[in-house]
Amino acid sequence: MTNWTDLQSCRFIEASARERAIGLVDEGSFTELAGPFDRVTSPHLKLLGDAVAFDDGIVTGVGQIGRTPVFVISQEGRFIGGSVGEIGGAKMVNTIKLAIDFHDELVAKFADLDEEEKPMVVISFETGGVRLHEANAGLLAHAEVMDQLQKARGKVPVIALIGSKVGAFGGMGFVAAATDVIIMSEFGRLGLTGPEVIEQEMGKEEFDASDRALVFRTTGGRHKYIMGDANFLVENSIAAFREQVSALTGLSIEAFEEMRRIGSSAKVKAQLRAVALAAQMQPGDATEVWSHAGNTDAWGLIDLPLSDFLARVERLSV
Amino acid sequence: MALHTLELDLAASAAKVTLPAPSHTGVTGSSDLEIMLTPAPLSGRVTVKIVTPVTGFDPLWARVMQKFLDETGLYDTAIEINDNNATPAVVLLRLQQALAAAL
Amino acid sequence: MTNDDKRNSWRKRAADTAARKEAAAPLFVKGKEVLAKDTVALLEAVIRPFDIVNIEGNNQKQADFLADCLNKVDRGKIHDLHMVQSAVPLPAHLDLFENGIAKKLDFAFGGPQAGRVAKFIENGKIELGAIHTYLELFGRYFLDLTPRVSLVCAYKADRKGNLYTGFNTEDTPAIVEATKFREGIVIAQVNEIVDELPRVDIPGDWVDAVIQSPKPFFIEPLFTRDPALVTDSQILLAMLCLKGIYAEYGVTSMNHGIGFLTSAIELILPTYGLELGLKGKCCTHMILNPHPTMIPAIEEGWVDTIHCFGGELGMEDYVASRPDIFFVGPDGSLRSNRAFAQTAGHYAIDMFIGGTLQIDKYGNSSTATAGRVAGFGGAPNMGCDAKGRRHPTDAWLKCGQELPSLERDIGNIPRGKRLVVQGVETFGEGRKPVFVEELDAWKLAKSANLPIPPVMIYGDDLTHIVTEDGIAYLNRCKDMEARMAAIRAVAGFTEIGLAAKPEETRALREAGIVKTPADLGVDPNRATRDLLAAKSMRDLVTWSGGLYNPPARFRNW
Repeated sequence: MTNWTDLQSCRFIEASARERAIGLVDEGSFTELAGPFDRVTSPHLKLLGDAVAFDDGIVTGVGQIGRTPVFVISQEGRFIGGSVGEIGGAKMVNTIKLAIDFHDELVAKFADLDEEEKPMVVISFETGGVRLHEANAGLLAHAEVMDQLQKARGKVPVIALIGSKVGAFGGMGFVAAATDVIIMSEFGRLGLTGPEVIEQEMGKEEFDASDRALVFRTTGGRHKYIMGDANFLVENSIAAFREQVSALTGLSIEAFEEMRRIGSSAKVKAQLRAVALAAQMQPGDATEVWSHAGNTDAWGLIDLPLSDFLARVERLSV
Repeated sequence: MALHTLELDLAASAAKVTLPAPSHTGVTGSSDLEIMLTPAPLSGRVTVKIVTPVTGFDPLWARVMQKFLDETGLYDTAIEINDNNATPAVVLLRLQQALAAAL
Repeated sequence: MTNDDKRNSWRKRAADTAARKEAAAPLFVKGKEVLAKDTVALLEAVIRPFDIVNIEGNNQKQADFLADCLNKVDRGKIHDLHMVQSAVPLPAHLDLFENGIAKKLDFAFGGPQAGRVAKFIENGKIELGAIHTYLELFGRYFLDLTPRVSLVCAYKADRKGNLYTGFNTEDTPAIVEATKFREGIVIAQVNEIVDELPRVDIPGDWVDAVIQSPKPFFIEPLFTRDPALVTDSQILLAMLCLKGIYAEYGVTSMNHGIGFLTSAIELILPTYGLELGLKGKCCTHMILNPHPTMIPAIEEGWVDTIHCFGGELGMEDYVASRPDIFFVGPDGSLRSNRAFAQTAGHYAIDMFIGGTLQIDKYGNSSTATAGRVAGFGGAPNMGCDAKGRRHPTDAWLKCGQELPSLERDIGNIPRGKRLVVQGVETFGEGRKPVFVEELDAWKLAKSANLPIPPVMIYGDDLTHIVTEDGIAYLNRCKDMEARMAAIRAVAGFTEIGLAAKPEETRALREAGIVKTPADLGVDPNRATRDLLAAKSMRDLVTWSGGLYNPPARFRNW
């Protein structure tokens, strides 16, 4: 389905990386860079005898929302779990770099540029992090992406979208955390160590990865929104994510800086207070923290329709 | 261990349709495949390049592709497939969907 | 000999039961309650070597605590038991044979333990009686396999022994009735002992002991299919089924098998089915567990009634809130009953539709694979033509009237036939061909010393095969040669399919015995997930108005 209008009502969680990329920006504005027709496949997978993809599972390109140039990175979870290897990693790195270079060029050329005309980066995450088949190259790519995020900081806002099946885990959980804004749906998950790995390391008694309700209470969109790890929680449609991104265009870079969860001494102190709270509470379940945040019927929050949830929920403040 | 590449040179029983422009559809997911269709001057024939981790199914691929061509009459096209262990039913369905999207 | 002596010589079972219960008497605390810690002692008191023993458990609820306790008895005291039970899905069921406590097995379904069952038969740890269908086994409970002791499970009991089996009544009535009315002993594990039950499903005087188990009994949400996992190719098969069979025959009553194909059918009823004008004409009466994927069709008013074999975790409130559709008790909760649902499934319904792993060139099908003795549970009872059926319906009659052999067999008398449909891709997982020269069941029969290869559905009962190549209307074939040709025509590129002759297939298509998707007017390009009325578990919850409460493992929010 690549008809833009149809894509808008498409479930975000059902959408492929390319559908998300096309649908997130204005109709007809998306130009794919290093796309499938360039046929740059992973050399590592080939040697290992594993299936390859013409786009290496990551769609990159540029489009616009209103007057804002939007550089898009979109990960495809159905291809090896959205894992990031050498090719896909390089595509991510260079897309952010392009956005920064473009910003610098624009600013140098046009002194009276308003905020809305400056570029932003949108990353639609669906990944478990490093592709183990090409772990060194993949790890290096992670580091390079982090490096680009630091270079973008204060210039080009980077927005993370998390609402796809795989979620954002592993090294890419770090990357997502290092962006300026995180937009999630309730079906999105954000974490560092994936549920299966936690179970394997700590035991089923500590964390039962097959208990998906537990997994989502601990890493899912609703929890991350309550905890303040996600800035916005939106409906599960491409349109809803696009509208939230659109609402952010034109904000000053200071406003984006304010939305970060990490990156200043005040924010680090707030994070430390959250850690202290956890140490003091020793919660057995995320819902205990939700209660602490002021939600009297914490368990009742789980099944509420999203609009009711947003109207009723109290978010944690530390 | 290395990926298996299978190349075929086929022709539909009756040439009926070719493409206006290159087209790419699908995702190399588990039990799924992605398909690239590119119009090419092949004197009515169709070339097929399949890249797959699975070996031992070359005759099956040839039959599936021939059936697709006979059913659609596709000609003058280069087909490239990245496969990840799709069943013949899925391959045919995806080919039909890819062609419909390309036309 | 006096009259009294004579009478007593006809009451040996009662005397034996009394003696066993006498031995257990000190273990009762209040009324019929025995404490969990005394369970092993209770079993040692009432069970004797060579007894026929039933442990309740099907593919859903399990008397798991009692199964574990039976493994802990002194095997010097209890050994060589003859287990008769619907299913042996728990490791504990097989441990009994490993531990030498049980010797002989009569069952219907092996489930996850199928590999061990095969191994134990081979190495002599299990002496196999037979593999049955559920109804067949229930029948033998009342014939030659009546349990001496039955270990059943229920949600709640009171101290008089009354049981509340509620939503998951399943096999309990059949087991308890057979056991108790032949002077046997019934022991129930329950999640809770209470003063007042919501309703009585099993009267207390049919139950000898109740035990509150340390943990609630295990229950498997076996019939829950996540719509997110339904694939386009399953949707294509579902479209073919609706257009080529449901619509063609106007099938009103049926059972849906457990696989994703039937989930796909259920999920496109409100979309594609509506478009075909089938609402009110198809799927009005179903024998089915409370499949969550039926929620959209139920909500859209497709269904009049559903009777259930068992419950399905998470569907409790939804079912209780739709009493016009489901069979609920005066207390408001579902009463399932496998024996009655299977009876309806065997005699009353017009169609069974499901999947299989293999179909041979004659149309016999089986899910048996080498090294696994799994059995088929209830599928064969529903997946066959019930010859005792006498009531006509349009679908049944049409299917029978299409049978060219009818006149040869019974002259000019009209007779119908059950629609038995198997929907499969020509190649399964790992490109394993579904159509085969010879079923793996033959190999299994050899390795596990089975007297006959375990066939799920026999070829003469199978009326339709649906594959991505189209539909073979086997009921329209005049003889075995025609039937085999029709099977070849839809067998794709399997070795069986490659033997199809183009001119033969063309003739079959002209005769309406084989129909391709194009013949049926089904467009493969429409076979996408956009056709699903619900695409996710969350959608099912929304369709249910928040009444469906999916088990934790199916939640993604």
